[in-house]
Amino acid sequence: MKLRKLSAATAILATGALVLSGCTPGGDNDDAEAEETSNGENGGNTDAITAEGQQFTTEPEDTGKADTSDLETMDDEISVSIGETEFISYQGFTPETYSTYNSVVVNRLFDGFGYWGTDNVWYPNEDFGSYEVTSEDPFTVEYTIGEDVSWSDGTPVTVADYVLDWAYQNAELTNSDDEPLFNGISQTYGERVLEGPQGDPEGKTFTIEYTEPFADWEILVGSALPAHVVAEQSDMELDELVTAVREADTEALEPAAEFWNDGWFTDPGEFPDEELIPVTGPYKLDNWQAGESLTITANEEYWGSAPGTERIVYRFVNDGQHVQALENGDLNIARPQATVDTRGQLERLEDDFVLHEGEAATWEHLDFNFNDGAFSDSLELREAFAMCVPRQQIVSNLIEPVNPEASVLNARESLSFEENYEEIVSESYEGTYDEVDVEGAREILEAEDAVGTEVRIGYAGPNPRRTDTVAEIQASCDEAGFEIVDEGSEDFFAPGGALETGDYEVALFAWAGSGQVVSGQNIYSTDRPQNYGGYSNETVDDLFNQLATTEDADEQQEIIIGIEQELWGDLFGIPLYVHPQLSGSDITISNVRDTASQDQIMWNAEQWQRAE
Amino acid sequence: MYSYVLKRLLSAIAVLFGASLLVFVLVINSGDPLLELRESNADNVEFLIQQRIDFMNLDQPWYSRYWIWLSGIAGCAVGACDFGTNMSGQDVGAMVANSASSTLRLVFLATILSIIIGILTGIVTAIRQYSSLDYAVSFFVFLFFSLPVFWAAVLAKDWMGITYNNWLREPHFSWTQIFMVAAVAAILVPLIIGGSARRRLLTGAVMFGFVMIAMPLLDSLNYAREPRLGPALITLLGIGLAFGLTALLSGLRNRSVLYSALTVVGLGLVSYYATFWLLIDPPGGWLSIVGLFVVTIAVAVLVGRTMGGHAKGQAVAVSVITASLFAVMVLLDHFMRAWPEFLGMKPRPIATIGSSSPNFSGDFWQVSLDQGTQLILPTTILMLVSVATYTRYTRSSMLEAVNQDYIRTARAKGVNERTVVFKHAFRNSMIPLTTIVAFDFAGLIGGAVVVEQVFGWSGMGNMFVTGLSNADPAPVMAFTLITGAAAVLFNLIADLTYAVLDPRIRV
Repeated sequence: MKLRKLSAATAILATGALVLSGCTPGGDNDDAEAEETSNGENGGNTDAITAEGQQFTTEPEDTGKADTSDLETMDDEISVSIGETEFISYQGFTPETYSTYNSVVVNRLFDGFGYWGTDNVWYPNEDFGSYEVTSEDPFTVEYTIGEDVSWSDGTPVTVADYVLDWAYQNAELTNSDDEPLFNGISQTYGERVLEGPQGDPEGKTFTIEYTEPFADWEILVGSALPAHVVAEQSDMELDELVTAVREADTEALEPAAEFWNDGWFTDPGEFPDEELIPVTGPYKLDNWQAGESLTITANEEYWGSAPGTERIVYRFVNDGQHVQALENGDLNIARPQATVDTRGQLERLEDDFVLHEGEAATWEHLDFNFNDGAFSDSLELREAFAMCVPRQQIVSNLIEPVNPEASVLNARESLSFEENYEEIVSESYEGTYDEVDVEGAREILEAEDAVGTEVRIGYAGPNPRRTDTVAEIQASCDEAGFEIVDEGSEDFFAPGGALETGDYEVALFAWAGSGQVVSGQNIYSTDRPQNYGGYSNETVDDLFNQLATTEDADEQQEIIIGIEQELWGDLFGIPLYVHPQLSGSDITISNVRDTASQDQIMWNAEQWQRAE
Repeated sequence: MYSYVLKRLLSAIAVLFGASLLVFVLVINSGDPLLELRESNADNVEFLIQQRIDFMNLDQPWYSRYWIWLSGIAGCAVGACDFGTNMSGQDVGAMVANSASSTLRLVFLATILSIIIGILTGIVTAIRQYSSLDYAVSFFVFLFFSLPVFWAAVLAKDWMGITYNNWLREPHFSWTQIFMVAAVAAILVPLIIGGSARRRLLTGAVMFGFVMIAMPLLDSLNYAREPRLGPALITLLGIGLAFGLTALLSGLRNRSVLYSALTVVGLGLVSYYATFWLLIDPPGGWLSIVGLFVVTIAVAVLVGRTMGGHAKGQAVAVSVITASLFAVMVLLDHFMRAWPEFLGMKPRPIATIGSSSPNFSGDFWQVSLDQGTQLILPTTILMLVSVATYTRYTRSSMLEAVNQDYIRTARAKGVNERTVVFKHAFRNSMIPLTTIVAFDFAGLIGGAVVVEQVFGWSGMGNMFVTGLSNADPAPVMAFTLITGAAAVLFNLIADLTYAVLDPRIRV
């Protein structure tokens, strides 16, 4: 077995050498570009996921995409599944269609100004275009779309597309009932940028001016839908559409909005007419068997470097069935449930499949109830509870069997695979709760005359892992004098459930990280919608307001350290661990890399290629 | 009669209405459609939650949500059904249209096959009551019946899917395998055929020898990758069938029946050559195949009626069955012809997921083979359970019939055993079975939920499960309505069939 791994490593080296020696003219460029990215402020050097035996045509240098411009499209098909939830629509920007499962398809169809790296960090996509901050006050960003970037129907991608992109996120554009014209997924863009993208609608350069600096400015503008299709379908000229948006002529915009909201919706299994669904990315929609599979094929009009494989087939299969489907060759790449069993099954197949193991951008935590109950006004009791929670034991018993590299999470605003994690933790957390201290907890409880305090731990059940977590806590904290009650129930989060009524002391659940800098504001600031426990700390509120308007990464990190210090000091809650993630891929397919970001293993699908 | 049917239909509508109300209330209270959003860390999550509340009318009381759904369904009365939309805004009516076809294909095939297999084993075990065969069959039937479907599916995928596909790359039997199969055949076949100890021993020895010769022969012909029947083998088997069926249904002494069956075989051979080129690429696909089958049956009926003499009825029955089985063999021959090329296109024919391979294109035979190979695993799993019920019901209902006075009378009259079993006992034992079939069909649609999930089919079951886990009522309601309607409809059909089978129950 060892011999095999060794030979795999040799093979990688050999492939790398081949690639380097094989394309001398491109070689220099490769190096230059690689240096540029590694000098940039974005991203770390190590993936959140490791995959022993994985082959690459070009070895990645950081957590962004490697340069694979030397790939030629191979007439081949790769089947992949990330779950049974089906694709919905080409139009993935409405609340009904926006989901991970739709995005993993749609993001292959549209290129944009950037993408998420494997550690959930935003990388600019320099092939598509560039952006830079041109003024700090007012905060202004200039975007330039690449000269040759165009839709697959030949229309160049222009500022007009990005004007429409702003329009759908602008809640100021309302219909006669005072409801937003566009049924869009987000309204942040319209709130932050009042005038929309400025520039010649037929040109390639536009600027956007923020009302105040914005921490997540980089990810605000990404890919756009085809404005020329929307214009044509609503019987307008493209410049008429742009003018209508800029003048907020809602009456003129109504047909365009109507098409934007409904025009791309079709019944499952059918795509809209081909001229309605041009793409800017390496793939286009090809074939959809409702409920079973969806195929995307290489976009022959693609302006960028060619994708590695002609056809990618998404199969909508329950993740419990993935391993056998992999083994039988029905799937080539799959993301089964991250459990000990699946891990064992994938390990058994290691001669033919690569096991990608690591961490997802989802993390588990215990949050206190600050509205009422024992912990709401007693920092001492919260401390005592934190002292008796066996975090390392929970990770060792429940997570390490799935991900041997797992460790206890010691921060909230940065996850353990992120590059700045170590620094943030070292400056905000002193290791106070690394060791279980039942004695210490008991002393506090006795001093507070609180021995026997009932602690109801609520979570959305049934969830065996959380039940086990509560059991571990129970074993340790009951000894310290708490009385832990497992309050897991199906309607914990539901209206009328324990979270809403406040019938819990500690909530156990997970947040799905988005990669945004200020998403924590909703959780930790006073009276915010996701601040379920009713936590309030003026310093934290101020810091988040400050963070939201800071665009410099170093300053952001300083503020985050401040926030973490406060949250540890107050014991908002106790972070536990980052969720493990497992994927399997056929060993003959090169360049497969799993990622913590929401596009999952699909994120670099255009780089996949089967070795001949 | 009409007023009876009308009354049944009206009560069916009332039942469906009640069921839909109950299920709707249960579904919308079964979970939290906002759950995934509550744990989302997006910065505009409040906005998203509000959007979904508006879209799914979550802020309205249950009765007004039900009313919205019901008024869409009420459109069916005027031919404009609206099943509503799911939480992603997809039209549930279109989803039903998509998923119903694959579910029906699965359930229909499984039902037909399990009826045939179940009733045959039921009859055999009833005839050989308390024999070791009876005990063995009972044991396996109960074993299959109690298998958890999802677990059986995993095993089936492993053995019938992955292992078979691996084997198919270089298909060879080892001598151990051949010996094992021969031994099983040598024990099993005499148990079914029965007879004196000497006869059993003889059948066992013949079976053993047959398998020991046949399997290496097939192996050397590379039969698993290049199977074929050919006209000669088909004719030979056809003649065998003609004799066997005549012996079973009317006795070999009845020459006119035997001759009509043999004529059918002869005509079959002629038609094999006549339709050979037509069937290379059948125009209209299954349509022309079904058309040819209908012609075959018509010809067989004609032959039976003209040649049957005084035993027209039996001659027709034997001719029709011979012709049907002959047609099946011809069809099989054509499929076998397409198999080697099909293997080139799909090297691992048995897939563990999906109702067809994505992007598979080929001629009629290849596409049908693709769909067929995808059907094998789920159909087998679905069959296991219902074969068990059919076998047990047939057995007990046969035994009950066999112990009736009229059977004793028939035997006393000197009627031969064949006629006693098929004419007097079997026909009467069919009556209670009709009810089971009706229930089972609707039950299988429900039972297909797990099978579809496990095999990644996008059928009705999948729609139901996804809808339920999202507390999204529209897809669940569509499922309830359709399975409910199927249950009610098949029960009605069963009641009407009763009247046909048993003249005493005329309304």
